[in-house]
Amino acid sequence: MTLIALISTRHEYDALFSVYVPIALGVFVVIVIVILAAVLRYRGRPPEKAARWSEHNGLEAGYALLLTATVAFLLYLTFSAEHRVDTVSARERPSLTVDVTAAKWEWQFSYPRYGITVRSGTVGRQPLVVPVDQAIRFRLASADVIHSLWIPQLRFKRALIPGATETVTLTFTNAGTFTGQCAEFCGLRHADMVFTVRALSPAAFASWARAGGRTA
Amino acid sequence: MRSRRSRSGGWVGALTSTDHKRIGVHLGLASFAFFLLGGVFAVMMRAQLAEPNGQLVSDNTYSELFTMHGSTMIYLFVTPMAIALSMYLVPLQIGAISIAGPRAALAGFWTWLAGGLIMQSGWLSADGAGRAGLFSPVPLSNGTNTPGVGQDLWVLGVILAASGMVVMAGCVLVTIARRRAPGMALLRMPVFSWTGLVTVLMVVGSFPVLIVAMILLYIDRHGANIYSGFSGAIDYQDLFWFFGHPVVYVMFFPYLGAAAEAIAVGANKRWFGYKAFVASVMAFAALSMSVWAHHMFTTGGVTNQYFAFTSTALVIPAGIEYFDVAGTLVGGALVLRCSMLFALTFFVQFLIGGLSGIFVASPVLDYSANNTYFLIAHFHYTLFAGSVFGFFAGVYHWFPKLTGALLRERLGKIQLAVMIVGTNLTFFPMFLVGEDGMPRRISRYAEHPGWATLNRLETAGSVLIAVGVAIFVANVWVSLRHREPAGDDPWRGHTLEWATSSPPPPLNYEAPIPPIRSYAPLLDLREEAADRERREREQAGAPA
Repeated sequence: MTLIALISTRHEYDALFSVYVPIALGVFVVIVIVILAAVLRYRGRPPEKAARWSEHNGLEAGYALLLTATVAFLLYLTFSAEHRVDTVSARERPSLTVDVTAAKWEWQFSYPRYGITVRSGTVGRQPLVVPVDQAIRFRLASADVIHSLWIPQLRFKRALIPGATETVTLTFTNAGTFTGQCAEFCGLRHADMVFTVRALSPAAFASWARAGGRTA
Repeated sequence: MRSRRSRSGGWVGALTSTDHKRIGVHLGLASFAFFLLGGVFAVMMRAQLAEPNGQLVSDNTYSELFTMHGSTMIYLFVTPMAIALSMYLVPLQIGAISIAGPRAALAGFWTWLAGGLIMQSGWLSADGAGRAGLFSPVPLSNGTNTPGVGQDLWVLGVILAASGMVVMAGCVLVTIARRRAPGMALLRMPVFSWTGLVTVLMVVGSFPVLIVAMILLYIDRHGANIYSGFSGAIDYQDLFWFFGHPVVYVMFFPYLGAAAEAIAVGANKRWFGYKAFVASVMAFAALSMSVWAHHMFTTGGVTNQYFAFTSTALVIPAGIEYFDVAGTLVGGALVLRCSMLFALTFFVQFLIGGLSGIFVASPVLDYSANNTYFLIAHFHYTLFAGSVFGFFAGVYHWFPKLTGALLRERLGKIQLAVMIVGTNLTFFPMFLVGEDGMPRRISRYAEHPGWATLNRLETAGSVLIAVGVAIFVANVWVSLRHREPAGDDPWRGHTLEWATSSPPPPLNYEAPIPPIRSYAPLLDLREEAADRERREREQAGAPA
């Protein structure tokens, strides 16, 4: 339906992760090999044999340039992804708005268009139900302390800070049942501030909404 | 007058001594005691998390445990130990006979210790110890959401501990500025002293902000609404992390310096790339004062791109340091003593912490990793797998200087092996369980494929770490009971502390100090002697 693909935080994360990880592994392996090789090669020699040179500024400057280029490359990728996740997604036209209110120690998800409200945490286990492949605008507010909306499947979290309503636009690309949890320590029963996400096909979501939030 | 007092015997004499070496040792011993206490808290947390839905401690106790584990380790162990190393070693390394402001330094030590004891005294209060987390964000930490005297004692403890550390750091800073021996130009200061200098600069630059944030929090908790609304919450975090990130490097540099000295001496070779290293630690310190809000990427209240830029740029100075390690090893004559092995392990394990740090410096990756066990793994690889191993490198390197006795090498190698296994068993699975979505600071977790196994491994690892630390304590005990005399310079040291007796006399040097022509004056002397000997041999062997 949409010509421009919706921004998926999961895809952005996975793409970036798949660049950062091999670079990190490569650097780790190279440095460990260099250190190990040097230790094996130069151990146990008499002290008089130790070399006296202690500088090579040209080599070091070249190395610093290589590091700078790597930093520039990683920042280019990160800035591009961050722009899509934070800025481009906010311009998407959402098909659904969900008001999220966090309080000690419960999540309240309201669907103003459908007059549905579900709650999860210490007060119950009603899932957050969402359609897949549609942009969803979440309006985030907290009633008391800082909480954090954390949906591992999306590789995304955002703090809910009392005193302001923040907006994020997220898209689920996989149908299924996922976990969600508060990721900012919020007091005694923080560990119980969990919820379930059910991502349904748009048709199944529509029938769920028509049924007033009773499980389809 | 001062020297007579520092020589006076007995407990009172020892505890009121203004000798920088005694203050440094007392600070180090007290910090190490807090390390053991913080370690007990850690093992208790790991016991609770060994199984899903753990029932060992209550939710309330668990929140006290993680708050006090982090607070104890940061305010009362890794940071003050960094200052203790600088306090003891920097004056010796730069040829000073005493520290500047010795009474202030002594007062700083007692202020810090009072802060630590006040913070821990919360355990005895009816409400228990501080329980709003290491950085106690508002509004969670205000009087409404975390009432009680335990949290107040936590705030007061942080204020006093930080104030004491600022004063001690200031004394080290003035000592470096004013008391270097003739010939000890800044660019001839040993590598460790440079790391000590940037450390105390950062303490003096950033800790006052923490003190102010905590004083305001205390007032806020008692009725004045200082941190109010969204902006109040962000303001508090800005203030806290303006301290909270520099302190990460305070908890890194002296251990880096200790590992660097251990490697250079163990390699019988001058530290490689001295000037680049000095430039890199200065750049590191400057950058690290401008990365604080990468702790706040998920708040929506800061400019994420700027802080991603400064944080990722840390790769450059960090990379230089690794280059210098390799440059020192290559061409050296390596002796693989405990100090060297701990130092090498420091660099390898810290690398995992550093590389995962590049990860969490990227907002998009941090949106996932923030507040999960991935983050816990990352910073424990820097602080524990890194700094604590660097600390042990320093202990094995300088223990003979402090006590005149050698530590047992064999026990040290067993400790190292146990701690390497324990550390990686504890912290590596945290990357996996965190990447799979397990948040930090939860006292219980539901059954989740793989989590129970990974958490059990972590708990087993934490027990191994405790065993490793016990071996170290046993090593110190044995080595002091059955002393193997070390002599003044057991390792062919490079720097001035090895040119005096072990332990050094009250005014540090009884003989005149050797000439200072570089950052490794004793190595200079050895090289000159070798050259002279070779010339004489050549002349004697040359046909008449």
